[in-house]
Amino acid sequence: MRLERWFYSIPLRFRSLFRRNAVEHELDEELQFHLEQKTQHYVASGMTPEDARRRALRDIDGIELRKEECRDARRVSRIEDLAQDLRFSARTLRKTPGFTAAAVLTLALGIGANAAIFSVVNAVLLRSLPYPNSEQLLTLHSNQSLPDLEDIQKQTNSFAAIGGLTIQALDFTGQGDPVQIYGGLCNAEFFDALGFRPVIGRTISPVEDAYGGPSLVVLTQGFWKRYFGGDAAILGKSIRLSGNSYTVIGVLPREFWMPGRPVDVLASLRVVSPLAAKSRGVHFLHTYFRLKPAISLARANVEMGNVDQWLALHYPEENTDNHRHLLPLRDAIVGDVRPELLVLFAAVGLVLLIACVNFASLQLARSATRQREIAIRTALGAPSWRLIRQMLTESVFLSLLGGVAGLVAGLGVRLLMALKPAGLPRIADTSIDASVLSFTFALSLLTGIVFGLVPALSTTFFGLNAKLKEDTRTTAGGSSGYRLRKFLVVSEIALALILLISAGLMIRSFALLHRVDPGFRTENLLTMRVELPEARYREQTKQRQFHREFLEALNAIPGAQAALVSELPMSGDYITHNFVIEGRPPLPAGREPEVQTRTVEGGYFRVMGIPLLAGRDFGSQDRTGSLHVVVVNRAFVAQYFPGQNPVGARVQWARSDPPDWMAIVGVVGDIKHFGPSEPEEPAVYDLYSQTAQQWKRWMYPTIRGAASAGILLEQVKQHLWAIDNQLPVTQVFTMNEVVAASLDHQRFNLTLLGIFAGVALALAVIGIYGVMSYAITQRTSEIGIRVALGAQQRDVLWMILGQGLRLTLLGCTVGIAASFVLTRYMSHLLFGITARDPRTFVFIPLALLAVALLACYVPARRAMSVDPMVALRYE
Amino acid sequence: MSRPSDLVQGTLDLLLLKILTLEPLNGFAISLRLKQVSGDILQVSDGSLYPALHKLEQEGWIKAEWRASENNRRAKFYSLTRMGRRQLEREADNWNRLSAAISHVIKMEEA
Repeated sequence: MRLERWFYSIPLRFRSLFRRNAVEHELDEELQFHLEQKTQHYVASGMTPEDARRRALRDIDGIELRKEECRDARRVSRIEDLAQDLRFSARTLRKTPGFTAAAVLTLALGIGANAAIFSVVNAVLLRSLPYPNSEQLLTLHSNQSLPDLEDIQKQTNSFAAIGGLTIQALDFTGQGDPVQIYGGLCNAEFFDALGFRPVIGRTISPVEDAYGGPSLVVLTQGFWKRYFGGDAAILGKSIRLSGNSYTVIGVLPREFWMPGRPVDVLASLRVVSPLAAKSRGVHFLHTYFRLKPAISLARANVEMGNVDQWLALHYPEENTDNHRHLLPLRDAIVGDVRPELLVLFAAVGLVLLIACVNFASLQLARSATRQREIAIRTALGAPSWRLIRQMLTESVFLSLLGGVAGLVAGLGVRLLMALKPAGLPRIADTSIDASVLSFTFALSLLTGIVFGLVPALSTTFFGLNAKLKEDTRTTAGGSSGYRLRKFLVVSEIALALILLISAGLMIRSFALLHRVDPGFRTENLLTMRVELPEARYREQTKQRQFHREFLEALNAIPGAQAALVSELPMSGDYITHNFVIEGRPPLPAGREPEVQTRTVEGGYFRVMGIPLLAGRDFGSQDRTGSLHVVVVNRAFVAQYFPGQNPVGARVQWARSDPPDWMAIVGVVGDIKHFGPSEPEEPAVYDLYSQTAQQWKRWMYPTIRGAASAGILLEQVKQHLWAIDNQLPVTQVFTMNEVVAASLDHQRFNLTLLGIFAGVALALAVIGIYGVMSYAITQRTSEIGIRVALGAQQRDVLWMILGQGLRLTLLGCTVGIAASFVLTRYMSHLLFGITARDPRTFVFIPLALLAVALLACYVPARRAMSVDPMVALRYE
Repeated sequence: MSRPSDLVQGTLDLLLLKILTLEPLNGFAISLRLKQVSGDILQVSDGSLYPALHKLEQEGWIKAEWRASENNRRAKFYSLTRMGRRQLEREADNWNRLSAAISHVIKMEEA
């Protein structure tokens, strides 16, 4: 029934809406036919044609009224008004393509930039983590050891499951070239904590997750697809990882995701690394706590506080001063980037604001030229709300167009990805989804309404009066519309200045970061990572033999100098050890100072260009079995031997058993191990050939060579695989690339802020140019009179420039004041300068002033050439 | 100006639908036909005829098409749709019940 009715009424309504002329025409024809028939009818009954016609008209009782009733019967007048407004908008906008293009483009820039940044914010900050009931997942600020995690589980009852995971590089062989993959070593509860069920097979059970348990492995979806083509027959088969055989028991779903590094396979920590698993003092497990339902975070943290005390009591060596604090996993993942994303979001908001101001200003300019039309429509009785609605429709129409164009531009999100914001978690999830779409739509609508309302109101309410008054004589810059435009330009310049100063601060920081001396020579330095699999290199004699042979082969490459280091500068890797200094009062266990520890071999300082400041470098006399020696850095001396010569003093790792004292033989310069913006920490360098740490099976060969990196790499691989053809080479970079990568984050922020500031500057310049041009057309006759009265061209030029200058100066003043307040929110993004860097605050406004004056100069030139005769006749 | 018995509210739809059961008619013809068949008693004012027709069309009870009238002028002819026929039945039933009830009340003998 309903459906059947729509079958009739929908086509009719569409016809009423879109074939309005035809429908109106038919209505007219229908009534005219009626009138004729009726007239004939009366004529036939003996009336004169005139009387008959009059009678017929009277019968119908007001033909226009009836027409309106018929239209009402079609119940479309409201939609029709809108349709009419839209049609009218489309028509007027088509007639002014320049204005339309400018408005749509302006808004597209503003809205597009916002959509793009919002899509990143949405992916990184707003969307929940891809785990079932992810709001129940918590983590600890600090990493934990497995024995501590076990005790936490026993001493609490807030948690449904507590998972621990560490990610370790593994060699995967047996599928062509050896490749390095990442293994997640975890406990059995890890799977329960994250809440993932395997798509095929099963996960590791608590029984299997035991010391000496079976060698089992669970694959991630990506690994399974990449190496086994998603073949379910892999279950029960063995794969070789770092020289050992593991049986595949399950495959995780595609949604399985780990923050940071991608994980390829998962295995039991107790099975793969029993030594590490048993060690209570080694805190290397990322933690995943799943809350029981209806347990609050606060309650869990109270329990955690009790556990702290319990552990400190029972295991004081490893648990003194440990304050475990639980926080939502999501906060832990996105916590670091929240402030900088918010700065970017604020910046892009400013861009939109400027775009909107420009949009409003464009509309004002146009409404000035439309005053005649509006005055006529008002005079003809159009109610002012109808006019406002018309203008609002136009404005919203434009802003939606701008939104669509902006979204297309927002597909430039892909370009954003190309900027490689390494370390921005979850950035890969960035996409244009429903929330991005609705955000953009809402933004467009709001923009259209708010920034259409101002010009619309000013035109109808204030503009008309002004127009009537003004029409008698064109006065200099009098109309309220013009005053409003001046206000808009001032705010635009102020907003642009905020962005420019922010970008300027970032650029200065970045330049300073680039100028930072890393403490070593970065050029012509090739680096890579090699890890010796435990199965074949468990004994240190084997490791040392490899080091020796490898270094010999590398140094035999013509023009090459090579060394090994365990923690490459700026790679993000580091290891610390507690240590004690001989002869100093003993400290309670767990309270010994910590130092950065780097193990090297083969003239590392010479190859890297790290200067020797005191004592001697490692030499050929330092080898396995000889006196254990270490070299320390300047920061170490400053902290532990201030004003003294440390050479000759002895140190050892805390709680070494048996004692293993190491003599300090030299002091080297500090390097920027943690990136250009971070200070160096005290560090101790020891030798691969002397260290007792047989688990240090990885190394970064660093090779300085005359040959290009590509050729050098081929030679290195050749020599490496001549020694052992099962070793994968990973993380191959030149040192310059490593340094650049350490600045990726800053580069990403800088590039975006720079783009935004550029857009803002362009928009502001367009804005001031538009206002000045408009002012000059308004003042043409005035200028003509001045010229007629003897003003020189120069005077005219200065008059116009002065006007522009006043606006710009006002805008700059406001902008500087606002920047003073706002830039401190970005001080954490800065390096080497304060958020109120005087150079930036002076230089940027001056630059803006210059550009703005240039924008005034073009219309001013036009004003100079005003011919007084033409100008006066123009009146 | 006296008008022959103004139509009871809501009965205009019923009458228009009924008149269109026989053949498609244009607006003017409808008003004539109504007058004829009711023996000059019922007459719809020209003013309310067309809005009513447009409303019925909108409801999907009648449909309109343009064709030549008897004097070969283009005119809009209305005809009943299937839905209109059902609507007519419903309204006629209502009317019969209502009028039967009313006449029943009126014929009630005073005791």
